[in-house]
Amino acid sequence: MIEPAPPFEIPPIITFAVPAFVILIIAEMIYVRVTGKGRYETKDSATSLAMGLGNRVAGLLVGGVAVAAYYFVYQFRLFELGWTWPVMVACFFAEDLAYYWFHRLAHERRWFWASHVIHHSSQHYNLTTALRQTWTGVLGLSFIFWLPLVYIGFPPLMVLMFSAISLVYQFWIHTELVDRMGPLEWVMNTPSHHRVHHAINAKYLDANYAGVLIIWDRLFGTFVPEDKKEPPRYGIISQLGTFNPFRVAFHEWVGIARDVSGAKNLREVLGYTFGPPGWSPDGSRKTSRSIKQAWAARQAAAVPAE
Amino acid sequence: MNDWIITAGSAGVVLLMVGIAFALGFRDAAKLDGERIQHLAAAEGAEVEEALVGEDGAAALARLKGGQLLIVRAMGADVSTRVVPASSARLRLRAGRLSVTFGDLGYPSLDMPLKDAPPAWVAELTQGSLR
Repeated sequence: MIEPAPPFEIPPIITFAVPAFVILIIAEMIYVRVTGKGRYETKDSATSLAMGLGNRVAGLLVGGVAVAAYYFVYQFRLFELGWTWPVMVACFFAEDLAYYWFHRLAHERRWFWASHVIHHSSQHYNLTTALRQTWTGVLGLSFIFWLPLVYIGFPPLMVLMFSAISLVYQFWIHTELVDRMGPLEWVMNTPSHHRVHHAINAKYLDANYAGVLIIWDRLFGTFVPEDKKEPPRYGIISQLGTFNPFRVAFHEWVGIARDVSGAKNLREVLGYTFGPPGWSPDGSRKTSRSIKQAWAARQAAAVPAE
Repeated sequence: MNDWIITAGSAGVVLLMVGIAFALGFRDAAKLDGERIQHLAAAEGAEVEEALVGEDGAAALARLKGGQLLIVRAMGADVSTRVVPASSARLRLRAGRLSVTFGDLGYPSLDMPLKDAPPAWVAELTQGSLR
């Protein structure tokens, strides 16, 4: 298994981006203080930044597992794809598509949601929210969504490079300070699109899973535009009652364990683990679907009959 | 080794950013009152029967029509709520404080300072929890 060498040295993309992250966060804080537009809360930001730091530590401790999985699967690749420009362009699109499906399943299946919920657990939407990242992504097997790419034959380093670029791109869209961006809104994931994604308003739930390109949401029917008449409310359906990073990191995993321990049969075990977040045997808990259905029913009832 | 040094440096930068947020005054605190509790209950499709707000206005407990409990906690300028069956919450009164505990890692025990003696419905719930 010899991976073709890249024709250039790949810099540590995320490490290089961190100084820009810091400068932009401080600039956003000052802008919010001066203009009153947007929101910050010290404890909330402290939690988000602690989660980002913990994500880095988790990456150093267990990130190698994901990389090892990439190289293991790469042994069985279908095609020999080198570091050529056409392959890199194809890899960019393929990585973004893989991200879309990872992200969509991370919202639709509780196993993956248990890691991803962390990123959504702030009631604020600012640049520190971008850094509120999971500590359990590798343990939750999130990396499996990118394995098809190395199986096809994209070099693992190339996939990792575009994943890092995607992560860096997604930082700046976590802001309330940038309005719509004209024609870019058609193709790119933008602050407006991503505000919708982080919103808990019923009409915005489970929408806009894009990483870099919003085209995937338009293609697969999950695109919802931001409605000026309905400002997003941020967070999760059951907002957390804590700023403690350890509780934030593990609360959903413990919730799964508690539910599974009380399950009466295999169907319930599977439902609690791999069903939609909020799944329950008797349907007594709220899921995105039930919330949206109730909202749609209210909307229909509000429209006067002709 | 280099990675760990960078991570340690990142921790320092995190502290700096938190310090800046603090210095800029991002320290709003929601104040709970009866009206807000009713509004929060309505958002859950419920109606408040009785409500008790902590002396500091940072936490509240309400009994809803139907017997469930609404638990409310200020999270900075925002709030976080839970609606739970009374049977799943453990209430304790001690030295002018009411604590409400239930099984949710993402929502630690509520600890409310009380101005006066708790109303009868809370005392009743407290005794119910002890049984």
